[in-house]
Amino acid sequence: MTPDPQKTPAEPVSVTIATKNFGDIVVREDQIITFSPGLLGFSEFHRYVLIEHGQESPFLWLQSLDKPDLAFVVMDPAFVLPDYKIGPINGVQKELEVKSLQDLKVLVILTIPPGCPQDMTANLMGPLLINLANRRGKQLVLESSPYSHKHRVLPAKG
Amino acid sequence: MLILTRKIGEGIILGDDIRISIMEIRGKQIRIGIEAPQNVVVLREEIYQRIQEENLRAAGVRDVDLTEIAKIWKQKKD
Repeated sequence: MTPDPQKTPAEPVSVTIATKNFGDIVVREDQIITFSPGLLGFSEFHRYVLIEHGQESPFLWLQSLDKPDLAFVVMDPAFVLPDYKIGPINGVQKELEVKSLQDLKVLVILTIPPGCPQDMTANLMGPLLINLANRRGKQLVLESSPYSHKHRVLPAKG
Repeated sequence: MLILTRKIGEGIILGDDIRISIMEIRGKQIRIGIEAPQNVVVLREEIYQRIQEENLRAAGVRDVDLTEIAKIWKQKKD
């Protein structure tokens, strides 16, 4: 059977989701990032979108499209540790089908304690890798690295 | 829980493509070999838990004033 051209969508498919932090957001299909498997502890949620917080801000939101009240604050680890390196990633590169390293985005998840943002930490041990070309992502665990899963982002109050 | 007894060099198959084998026994330590597809997460339990718990804590962000936090960040940089 040949597909009926009348039924072929001309516009990219979009998803509308009622998020806790942003209200209703419309996400185009080509903005959806798929983590398969999901983040550790959230293996059943695969689809996310990255939302920039603002021009002056180093932060981004990683908002789940499968669970409206699930969102992470993430940032480029270079802001936390300029010489941060994730080491050899041949396996992941293959898995995410990374053709050019320029397509590879590395982000780290921030833990912000309620009421004490000054004490926020970055999980440098479990970075997120995203292939921007096909929008496939994975949380890597750097088992034998010197990095902490609770790396302080801001200096403690003196 | 399924409990199996194995000798050095013997293995266990999980599904079609995961093989666990006993490599070496030294006192209280056992070296285990794991062959699994690339997309299967294989981690020491305590490391898995550490990252999982940190993800859970991070996902607890509720009513976070990120604009305020970005200000603190900017002050630190300047």
